[in-house]
Amino acid sequence: MRRTAIALFLALCAAAIFSLHAGLTFYSPHTVFAALMGGEGADALIVTTLRLPRTAIGVVCGASLGLSGLLMQSVTRNPLAEPGLLGVNAGGALFVTFGVTVFGVASLAGIGIAAVLGALAATALVFSISASTGGAGNPATTLLAGFTVAALLASFTQTLLLIDETALETLLFWLSGSFSDRPIGLLQLGLPLLVVGAIGSFFLATPLDVLRLDDASARSVGVNVGVVRLAALGLAALLAAGAVAMAGPVLFLGLVAPHLARRLTDGVLPSTRQLIVLSLLMGALIAVLADILARIIVAPGEAPMSAVLALVGVPMLIHLLHRRKGLAA
Amino acid sequence: MAGVSPLVRLLPVMLIVFVLTLAATGIGSSFMPPERVVAALAGQGSRMDEVIVWTLRLPRVALAILAGAALALAGALLQRVVRNPMASPSVLGITDGAAVGVVLFLWLFSDQANNLTVSIHWQPLAAIAGAAVFGTLVIALASLDRGGSKPLKIILYGIALAALAKAAVTLLIILGPVYRASQALTWLTGSVGAAHWQDVLAVGLALAAVMPVLLLQRLTIRQLVLDPQSAAVTGLSLDRAQVCLLAVAVFLTAIATAHVGAIGFVGLVAPHVARIFHGQFRSGYLVSVALTGSFLVLAADTLARIIAPPLELPAGALTALVGAPLFLYLLVKGRQSHA
Repeated sequence: MRRTAIALFLALCAAAIFSLHAGLTFYSPHTVFAALMGGEGADALIVTTLRLPRTAIGVVCGASLGLSGLLMQSVTRNPLAEPGLLGVNAGGALFVTFGVTVFGVASLAGIGIAAVLGALAATALVFSISASTGGAGNPATTLLAGFTVAALLASFTQTLLLIDETALETLLFWLSGSFSDRPIGLLQLGLPLLVVGAIGSFFLATPLDVLRLDDASARSVGVNVGVVRLAALGLAALLAAGAVAMAGPVLFLGLVAPHLARRLTDGVLPSTRQLIVLSLLMGALIAVLADILARIIVAPGEAPMSAVLALVGVPMLIHLLHRRKGLAA
Repeated sequence: MAGVSPLVRLLPVMLIVFVLTLAATGIGSSFMPPERVVAALAGQGSRMDEVIVWTLRLPRVALAILAGAALALAGALLQRVVRNPMASPSVLGITDGAAVGVVLFLWLFSDQANNLTVSIHWQPLAAIAGAAVFGTLVIALASLDRGGSKPLKIILYGIALAALAKAAVTLLIILGPVYRASQALTWLTGSVGAAHWQDVLAVGLALAAVMPVLLLQRLTIRQLVLDPQSAAVTGLSLDRAQVCLLAVAVFLTAIATAHVGAIGFVGLVAPHVARIFHGQFRSGYLVSVALTGSFLVLAADTLARIIAPPLELPAGALTALVGAPLFLYLLVKGRQSHA
C-alpha cells in the first residue's frame, strides 16, 4: 500500500509538472523554470497566471472530490453515491443562476461565494428531510432525498435558464465545470476546506471502518452510528462545496476516484485510512490528467471537462475492474 | 387496509390520471372547458374542437401517458434486477446510448446544407439501436467479468458506459455543425410536444408486447427482492431471470427514449412513489408504478405548456418539478424503511 501511494504521488507530481508545459504551445523545461523563478515576458505570464492556477485548482478540486466521494460511498454503503447526490452541484448552480439573473452578480469571486452558499443550503435541506424521515439511520433515504432535491433544484435552474437566454450565455462557462480561467484567489476558499476535510476524515477513519458492518454490529462495539454518519456526510458536503465554488459542477470524478483507489490496494480489505490517502491522490491525478487532455484534444478550443473526465476515467475504471477479479467493492 | 383488493387501491391513481387527461386535453393555446372536451371526444363537438382534440392534443397526451408508463416500468425492473434503489434507466447507460444513436444519425445522414438525406422517421430506429448496443455492452461486460457480485458489476459498467456515451455526445455536438447541435439538444431534454399517432402506436405496441412477459415473470419480480441465496432457495434461476428482465427494461427505455427523448427522473422515482403509496409486495404493484409514471410525465407536460406562455418548455425539464415535491412529501410522511 505504501508503494502504491508513493507511486501515485510521483505520478501526480509528474502530471502537475507536465501540466505547466503542455497547452496550445509547449514550453521547454528551461522556459517554465525561468518563469517560476520570476522571469518576465509573455511565456512567463502564461505559465504563472494561466497554467499554474489551473494546475493548482485542478489538484485541490480533484483531491476534494475524490475524498468527498469516498466518504459518501462508505457512509451510505452504496457504490452509486457521489458528492452530487448531496445536492451540492444543483444547489450551487441554482444560487449562481439566481445571483446572475436576479442580482446581476458578475465577478468570479461572487459566483464562487454564491456557489458555496447554495451548496451548503442544499445539503442542509437534504439532511433535514432525511432526518425527518427517521434520520441518518437510513442511508438509502438520505440518497433518495438527495437525488430528489438535486433533481428539483436542477429543474428550477433549467427553467430559469430556458426563460432567460442571456443568463445562459454568461453562465455556460461556469455551468460546464472547468479548471481554466479561475482566479488563483479561489484557492483561499478551497484549500482550507480540503485541509479540514482531510484531517476530519482521518479522525473518523476508525469508526468508518467499523461502519462497514451493519448498523447493529457497529453499535454493539460502541460506535455512535448516527453521529459518525452525520459528521462524515457533513465533511463530504464541505469538500464538495469547496470544489464546486472553484470549478463549477464537475461530475463523475467523485464517483470514480474512490472506486479506482479501492482497486489499487493489495489487501483484501483496505482500511479507510489507506483509502483516504489513495482517494485524495487518485482524484488529484485524474483531475490534472483530464485538464491537460482538455487543452489538447480539440485545440485551439477547450474540450468540456465532463467529456474529458469520462474519456480518462472510464478506460481506467474498466481496466481495473477487469484486473482485480473476485473482489466486490 | 390490508384486506382491500388491489383494484380499489389503484382506483384513486386511475382517477387522478383520468381527470388529468381531460384537463390536459383542454389546456393549451386555446382553452377548452371539460364539457367541450368530452363532447369532442365523443364525436359530438364542433368541427374545430374535434380537429384540435384529435390531431393536436390527444396524441400528445396519449404519448405522455404511455412513455411515462414505459419509463417507470423500466425503472422498477432495473431497481429489482440490480438490487439498488438508486438504479434507473439513465444511470445504466441506456438513455445515453440512445442519445449517441440519435446524434450519430444526425451527423451521418446530413448533407452540406444541413438537410437530412434520409427520412426523419429513421431517427427512432437509430435511438433504439444505440440503446440496444449500450445495453448489450453493459450486460456483456458484466457477465464476462467473473467474480464480484453481478448486480454491482452491472451498475459500475453501466455508469462507466453512460459517462462514455455522454462524452461522445458532447464531443459530437461540439465537432458537428451548430444546426445539428440545437436539434440534438432539443431531443436530449425530452419533450412530447411533437407527438403523432404513429409515436403513440409504437410505444403502445411495445408496452403491449412486454405485458405477457411481465405477467409470466410477476412472481420472479417479487422474488428478486430477496437476497441472492434466499431467492435461489425459493427456486429462482437468478441469472436467467435477471437477464430476461434486464432485456425488457432496455427495450422499454429504448422505445420510450426514441419517441420522447431523454426524459429523466421518472424511472427512478415512480417505483418509489408506488412503493410508498401501494406497497411493493401487493399484487398490482407494477400497474401502480406504470400509472405513477404516466401521471408524472403527463403532469410535467401540462405544466410545461402553462408555466411561461407562449413559450412551451420541454417536459423533460419539469418532471422533477412535479415529481420531487410529491416524493419528498411521501418520504417525510411515510417514515417507512427504504432499504
